[in-house]
Amino acid sequence: MPINDLYSLALDEASRLGATYADYREEDITEQSLSVSDGSPELLNKSFSTGFAIRVIADGAWGFAADSIINEDSIRKTAATAVEIAKASARINKSALELAERQVVEDAYATPFKKDPFAVPLSEKIEFLSELERMMRIDSQINSTSAFMTFIRTQKFYASLDGSRISQDIYQAGCGASCGVIRSHRDRSERSFPTPNGQWITGGYEIINMFDFKNELPRIAQEAIQLLSAKECPQKELDLILGGDLVSLQIHESVGHPLELDRVFGYERNFSGVSFATTDKLGSLKYASDMLTFVADSTYPGGLATYAYDDEGVKTERNILIDKGVLVNYLSDRETAHRIGKKSTACARAEGWMNTPIVRIPNILLLPGESTLDEMISGIDDGIYVISPNSWSIDDNREGFTLGGEVGWEIKNGRLGDMVKSPRYSGNTVDFWNSCDAVGNSDSWVLWGTPNCGKGQPGQNMRTAQGCSPCRFRKVKIG
Amino acid sequence: MPEKLEILSRDYILSTFKKALEFSEADQTEIVLESEKLSLTRFADSKITQNLTTADNKVVVRTIEGNRIGVSVSNSLDLESIKRALKAAREISSVQTPDEQFVSLPQSPPALPVKAYYESTANYSPVNRAEAIGKINDVGQKNNLLSSGAYRITTDRAAVLNSLGTEQFFEGTKAELSLTLSGDNENSGYAIGYNRDVEKIDPTALAEKAADKAVNSVNPIKLESGPYTVILEPSAVGQMVLLFSFLGFGCKTFISQRSFMSGKIGQQIVGNNITLIENPYHERMQGMPFGFEGVPRQKVYLIENGIARGVVWNSYYANIAGEKSTGHAHPAYKTFSPYPGNLVMGEGNSSVEEMIASTERGIYITHFWYVNYLNPMRTMVTGTTLDGTFLIENGKLTRPIVNMRMAQSIQEMLQSCSMISAEKQLYPQYSVVMLLPYLKVENFNLAAEEA
Repeated sequence: MPINDLYSLALDEASRLGATYADYREEDITEQSLSVSDGSPELLNKSFSTGFAIRVIADGAWGFAADSIINEDSIRKTAATAVEIAKASARINKSALELAERQVVEDAYATPFKKDPFAVPLSEKIEFLSELERMMRIDSQINSTSAFMTFIRTQKFYASLDGSRISQDIYQAGCGASCGVIRSHRDRSERSFPTPNGQWITGGYEIINMFDFKNELPRIAQEAIQLLSAKECPQKELDLILGGDLVSLQIHESVGHPLELDRVFGYERNFSGVSFATTDKLGSLKYASDMLTFVADSTYPGGLATYAYDDEGVKTERNILIDKGVLVNYLSDRETAHRIGKKSTACARAEGWMNTPIVRIPNILLLPGESTLDEMISGIDDGIYVISPNSWSIDDNREGFTLGGEVGWEIKNGRLGDMVKSPRYSGNTVDFWNSCDAVGNSDSWVLWGTPNCGKGQPGQNMRTAQGCSPCRFRKVKIG
Repeated sequence: MPEKLEILSRDYILSTFKKALEFSEADQTEIVLESEKLSLTRFADSKITQNLTTADNKVVVRTIEGNRIGVSVSNSLDLESIKRALKAAREISSVQTPDEQFVSLPQSPPALPVKAYYESTANYSPVNRAEAIGKINDVGQKNNLLSSGAYRITTDRAAVLNSLGTEQFFEGTKAELSLTLSGDNENSGYAIGYNRDVEKIDPTALAEKAADKAVNSVNPIKLESGPYTVILEPSAVGQMVLLFSFLGFGCKTFISQRSFMSGKIGQQIVGNNITLIENPYHERMQGMPFGFEGVPRQKVYLIENGIARGVVWNSYYANIAGEKSTGHAHPAYKTFSPYPGNLVMGEGNSSVEEMIASTERGIYITHFWYVNYLNPMRTMVTGTTLDGTFLIENGKLTRPIVNMRMAQSIQEMLQSCSMISAEKQLYPQYSVVMLLPYLKVENFNLAAEEA
């Protein structure tokens, strides 16, 4: 990378037409997706997408244009379009935008991996997925099975008018399986492993060795059968333990999104909502209990959002967001960081070459505590343990929420009891995180990948990650 | 003047695809184009925060060897790139497990022509969009409100050619203006306009509609949880109907028994005043007249007077079930169930004014926020009201209320519609366009939110 040397033409042309800031981003994305369902091949697809984008500031406003055709003519037209758009924006905007400072660098980064997923024969992958399906067919009642794997390689090159030149070669991988019993539309069950989205990392084909599928898949199949005759989830206030996978979703929805600084400033009001965590609360809001510290860290190895530079050329580093329960920082890009007098936390990311970078959730880590799951359970007289997220909704201010899991178990007098179906819980973000009184230790800590975070217009799908262990919450509304 | 990025001509696309088909040595070959030129201006706090134009193509190649299927996707439209995609697809189909249920690619006649392309929309420039946002800001300023939203202009092209002689091409434009006007007291109002022809969208009228709601939403009262009579604007109806459609109207969910339609064809499943039709040919819909296998789309009665009538099919699942494709295939790289893309709900004979006047105590809902499934088996969804929720007392809108969270079965909602408006509005959501009336619904479950 770069694939070609036209980037300097793009930057020069934008400058010549009046841009005071310009960056050029070119991406070459290769994706391979395989899935099997009910014993048949469902999909085997390889896709390629190449293109470039030019983002400018002219007359103090943003303009952005992108094209899939990369040649001198399209570069000139795209640069002209971007500048023309910026000047149209400036007809409305009364004040010129400013960006937080960042270092000008020349650098390259590549995801470390153990096994190149694109070098593994397709036949081996198909056989692996078929074997996962067979592992779940433990009983004739199991009449729905599926398994998937996806590998994505994104080669990207970023160049800016002020001199940065950054190449990154990112490998992402996902894998998972699910099964169920379908007796009728209203009488059915489903279980997934490791989560309904599978698990996702930056890395290679080694993802398939991260889990004990041989033991775990028959277990979830058994649970799918048990769910059909499981009790309904109780509807009352109870103590709650969330599995790490559900804590991950809770972090994503009620820590990650509320702390996106563009959302805080209302940029997403009409589409993705706003945030209660306004900047007047920075440094004082008791967001969570004392034992909870949340860190944004896209340097953490293997996270689905592990990268070296964001799409504005800002280097990633570890930033504490919530320190022992207190809000201390936001997820930001250069524009929004400048508005609070801080430096960007390197969260400006675009789904692909055709998308403009916006503030996205990186790897967010809830630092591990000291408890084991058994210790958390033993401290509950009447409660519920829920895993495997399958339902979520949170209000436009990121406060009131309701989330649910595929399966739960009652906790009675310090012991796990009967299975319950369709467990759901609801609450208010700040009250909920402040009710947390136990955090799982590092043995149970997992960096969960989320492959389908949606935000922005046009809708941009982003891959994020949340690192966490199971947590215990007191007096939560269940059902 | 229009933005400078250009899209390739119909003649180039068709002739290139035909050459690529001649090159293919697979038993059967299909080449599909999904192309979009997108121009979009986003605004917030009455300023433009994002403004862009992009152009991209997806060329989806599907090759068949016996009953082994390979798929490859490229975004390059030149012949050499398509040949590379053909090679990649054939490499896949050579090792793929045979799909015993696959019969053949379809052989289809030309689809009916639909007027969906408007020069007015295709040429709508960044300056035009900025001027529209200026008009919205003017309304906001008069009412001491800030504006946010997005003005989205697209030119879509689709083509399907296969080695059995199928050849389809479509070009259409879309204009969508979504806006929120908000004040200092957490008061807000929302409006949305959609049309193939941008000249049919009136930014000032939409802004005034949103402003009226925002101005009247100051100092809301909190209501108790419970079942309420509600009047839903078409946007709110659309959010519910869309999830209902995803749950039940696709062939894949239908034949796997996951659909509320499974085993119910011919039976009453919702109120007898409810009719839902997939109809790309409706004069206000102007939908794409074929699916991504090239099969002409059919008008499909999904629910007629409350009775389950049918679902939409692609050729693969139609072959399995002994049905005929209704022309609703997705491109081959998508595995989720086909679904209707042009949903038309049957109208009633009421007006929204009559609905309000006939309501002793109820709630008027503009739209919902973050609607998601709670229990798909019972068509249960949740989400909160937003941007204009009002109490109705003794036949009049009386005061704003604090947003509430619904937990509602959509099927039960459609069993409880007491009035349906004659007026209908177009409402786009994701890739689906719906034409929907206002609904008055009894016993709609709303709860005080935890915020």
